[in-house]
Amino acid sequence: MSNDNRPLTGLRVLDFTHVLAGPFATRILADMGADVVKINSAQRAVGTQDPKHPYYLMWNRNKRALALNLTTDEGKTVARELCLQADVVIDNFSAGVLDRWGIGYQAIHEHNPQAIYVQMSGMGDGGPWSKFVTYAPTIHALAGLTHTTGVSGREDIGIGFSYNDHQAGLHGAVAVLAALEQRNRTGIGHRVDISQFEVGVNFLGPSLLDYFANGATARPVGNDLPYDAAAPHGCYPCKGGNPNPDKIPGLGERWIAIACMTDTQWSALKTVMNHPQWAAHTELDSVKGRMAHKQTLEQQLSSWTQDQDAYELMARCQAAGVPAGVVQDGADLLERDPQLAGAEFARPMDDVHPELGPTWIDALPIHFTKTPCNEYHRVRAIGEDNAAILQDWLNMSAAEVAKNQTDGVLE
Amino acid sequence: MPLSGVRVIDLTDERGIYGAKLLADLGADVVRPEPPEGDPLRQRGPLTATDKAAQTSLWHAFFASNRRFFTLDLDTASGREQLDQLLLRADIVLTCDNAFAVKEADLAKRSAQRPELIVIDVSSFGTSGPWKNYLAPDLIAGALAGAAATTGDIDTPPLKGFGELNFMVSGAYVAIAALAALAKVRKDGQGQRAEISVHECIASCLEHVLMFYWYAETMQRPEGKVLPRRGALHWSDAYAVMPAQNGSVMVTPAPDFDTQLMWLIEEGVQEDLIDPKYQEPENLRLRVERSMQILRAWAAGKDARELFLQAQERHCPYGWVLPLEAVAENPQLAARDWYRKLTINDQTITAPGAAYHFSNTENEIELPLSPHTAAATDAAAILSDLGWSAS
Repeated sequence: MSNDNRPLTGLRVLDFTHVLAGPFATRILADMGADVVKINSAQRAVGTQDPKHPYYLMWNRNKRALALNLTTDEGKTVARELCLQADVVIDNFSAGVLDRWGIGYQAIHEHNPQAIYVQMSGMGDGGPWSKFVTYAPTIHALAGLTHTTGVSGREDIGIGFSYNDHQAGLHGAVAVLAALEQRNRTGIGHRVDISQFEVGVNFLGPSLLDYFANGATARPVGNDLPYDAAAPHGCYPCKGGNPNPDKIPGLGERWIAIACMTDTQWSALKTVMNHPQWAAHTELDSVKGRMAHKQTLEQQLSSWTQDQDAYELMARCQAAGVPAGVVQDGADLLERDPQLAGAEFARPMDDVHPELGPTWIDALPIHFTKTPCNEYHRVRAIGEDNAAILQDWLNMSAAEVAKNQTDGVLE
Repeated sequence: MPLSGVRVIDLTDERGIYGAKLLADLGADVVRPEPPEGDPLRQRGPLTATDKAAQTSLWHAFFASNRRFFTLDLDTASGREQLDQLLLRADIVLTCDNAFAVKEADLAKRSAQRPELIVIDVSSFGTSGPWKNYLAPDLIAGALAGAAATTGDIDTPPLKGFGELNFMVSGAYVAIAALAALAKVRKDGQGQRAEISVHECIASCLEHVLMFYWYAETMQRPEGKVLPRRGALHWSDAYAVMPAQNGSVMVTPAPDFDTQLMWLIEEGVQEDLIDPKYQEPENLRLRVERSMQILRAWAAGKDARELFLQAQERHCPYGWVLPLEAVAENPQLAARDWYRKLTINDQTITAPGAAYHFSNTENEIELPLSPHTAAATDAAAILSDLGWSAS
């Protein structure tokens, strides 16, 4: 986009990704200055691929839009020419799709040995499940994250948002950047096969080591630490927060998380509580004693917190050296959180969308001191940048672009 | 390896150590100094159970993989000199505020002396603002940044993810910041510092949470701008974990409701889903609700494994809810040789593999897992061996 000094300015990324994981990876690269060309088509622009869908708006800012009809031979030819000019080609299709289009790593490497290919399929390239279709909830289930995140006896809780999609995106960005360093040293662009499933399984690393070393099988522990002793360590109810006239379960509740990681923090919490009699037992002065009486501790603490204002209580606890935090929801993050406000983390985009009006930014949480990444451009319509991209990347004339447009290649 | 020759000093705690791991596992030469009393993270469970006298932290073995450790006594002149030697030759320094040796490293001075140096500084809430000194272990970090509010069910408190899921997000951003800054150094020789707030990192990875607030009108939710925790039910209402025979399955009619409907018709359990009213766009929510109701009853009579495999054969993105021991024995991971061998105290065990498979046109690039060791005390020898010493 503009000629700036961000870390990845000048890096050409050809982006065949869709939904969340892949687009999040390329959003991060785009935020840091890369010229990310997002391939879409009128045919595929439904659901989360529709540039007006909130999902698309969230993860496709700062990219340029090229419409390419890859069902046509001409479309595939343009795609191939773009691959020959790309530093990075990235997709999150099932393994093998780019190969079938004749633009896979092997086919392109011969002519553009510097091209880095990152493939972020659900299951990776190879293995009996390689063609399986996955979204984040699928991966959470298969990777053990659903089974372990919850409370004893429940298999139906798991993580309440698409954690693994974001993490696969972050790992995709790491892969691109590591391959760039490798290319800088060797002159060769490599192919990186990322299995989103393997990314997810990796998050249970210590538990897997425990299984293989000790035969131990991890089970859900609610808000406890799975292996270390800390008490109290949980979420406790506070005085109700927002109105909930329709009585929708869970809305309007207020909770505070408190985590005494040391005996000193417990002692400080006792002071905040004004030394109630139930907390005076010397047995509770050690974490061992507190773990032994965990249920009583939780009940007493909940009784104490339930009539208090969560934000005030958090401030009192933190002032006394007790780790505590309000369980904030989306409205809290955007309306009450002083840290996010101070960092201008969330704000409307200056580049107003011509049809939708203001759209929104959650800023890149990396603050470079010399090359700040603070440019945000709105999501583009299907094919909105066709002419500019084809001119920049392929030196294609306006007449050629127009012909391709007429021939249905660029739609 | 992708990052061979990149020299990294790891001065992180739980909030950033996963970033150092990502760099180390990709081949960077990562050194992690420890205080004479030992790295406190070596106390984190789970521990090896085989030798009670010399238990080793498996948490540390995972997060501090592929590192060189040595003891650095910063109360001594030689200790300070060794830190100096490290800082004179590092490409990247990763820090968390208040972690070991960060203050003594005086990185502002180092950055001024060596403009090519990259420093990534992690804090819980940034360096300004009323919460800047708040204490935030993983539970608190996840609560304040919006993750806990989404997780759990109506009859449970808000829940944290199992293990270190929040800090693994900030850790991943650490690796991205370091490598993006390295790309800049390779381009024009200009190093720099970057600040990372764990709070912002987690808030940037909440999928629907900010989206619902910003685009509430489009989402048309009865809840308004905030979706409360409600078990495994996805924001679209079209993904839910359902009990089956011999386990549970994450069942979904998305993204292709018609494929799912055909399957139900084949088995004669479609009930009223073929009513044309469900095809009307304005009845999408009704269709989702009715589909999930029918699917729940249908799944209850199926074997979990069979249901999962049959769904995948039809390209439906179902997921079998696997316990850890099944993940450990998973055929897909086995076929891809994902698990590796890790030596800890002369014992070799199976260990998680890398999240990446790098290859060129001929070979896959091996990303080895070096033995996990105790901290050595002969720092000078290690520095010399690494080629980091002044001599």
